[in-house]
Amino acid sequence: MTALREAVVIPLLFLTSILMAATDVGPRVTVGPPSLFSLVLATLLVGTLVRCGAVAPARLLHTDRAMLANANGFVVVATLFASAAQVMSMLTPQTGLPMLFVSVFLFVLLLNTWVAMPDAVRLLRSLAVTLGSALVFKFVILDGLAAPATSRTARVLAALFDVATLGTVSQPPRPAIAGYMAFLTVVLFLAGVSLLPRPRSGGSALMPR
Amino acid sequence: MKEPVIRGAGLAGALAYAAAIGWLYVAQPQNPAQVTGGLAAIVGAYHVDAQAFADGLQFFRKDQFVEARAAFSRADPAERDATTQFYIAYAFYREGWGRVYNDDTLFTAGLAAVDKAIALAPNGRVVVPDPDLQMHSADELRAELQRGVTRDASDLNPLKVFRTRK
Repeated sequence: MTALREAVVIPLLFLTSILMAATDVGPRVTVGPPSLFSLVLATLLVGTLVRCGAVAPARLLHTDRAMLANANGFVVVATLFASAAQVMSMLTPQTGLPMLFVSVFLFVLLLNTWVAMPDAVRLLRSLAVTLGSALVFKFVILDGLAAPATSRTARVLAALFDVATLGTVSQPPRPAIAGYMAFLTVVLFLAGVSLLPRPRSGGSALMPR
Repeated sequence: MKEPVIRGAGLAGALAYAAAIGWLYVAQPQNPAQVTGGLAAIVGAYHVDAQAFADGLQFFRKDQFVEARAAFSRADPAERDATTQFYIAYAFYREGWGRVYNDDTLFTAGLAAVDKAIALAPNGRVVVPDPDLQMHSADELRAELQRGVTRDASDLNPLKVFRTRK
């Protein structure tokens, strides 16, 4: 891995995804920290990335490396974790049953991937599908349900749906730009993950070579 | 370019970027002016627009409080100056004050502004030696605004009509 990629490109991708995932463009623009559960999911995700060989920590932090290189490696690891937590938090709905459903969905899928231990390429594909599904669920399906109804019939149907589900499904309405930002955030995160250094052939993720 | 230079520049850039994100978490700016003003304030480059502030004071002294707040907001678009925020809070107080009852909406907005002023001032102490004002500190103003939005038995005291605006 080149110094440019490790010191500039990957931190830039992860930090930008942190910033975009943290920014909630509701009626008020707020920048929120990740939830506690998303920290658990991020730990699971980073562990899975290491276990499956999508990232080799020894190529980022090792006694053989110079201090400055290790500092760059630490920034990569720290921003990977923070970015994973923030992306998980962004993809999880804020309230009600959908929050529970997506939290369990992400936890089970990540745990399953951890146990199945696919190779790095398959892991990245699986991660793209997982994050993409959560994005579609929150920013397409739930936002579609939460969007202001345009006709009287649609308003009646929305009210009936809200009553039938005891208000546990509907989410606060969100501007359309939120979905585009979320999509770009997931793309940046996956791009960053795909650029992480992998174990050299014949070495394990925890050995430098 | 040499590798240590790239690594050093990358590290410095990443730390600066991360610090800016951390600041956003803490400061919660609401618009681009607050973002740029806040970042400028960190490096000591933020200044209040003196002309707009003077306009605001002029309006304030003529009891044109809506105009005064507009001018003060123009003077301090990033909401980083304690004195300007104090005057904005005072404008809410004077506009919302009533002999029989106070305007709760304006008083609540005043409380938010004075809280901002207190948060911005060093050690939370805001003192404005303006002879036109009867309350010179943010603590007095905050207490007065808080009293205004509090409901208690003294609200029913008919002698309240004789109190004066500060």
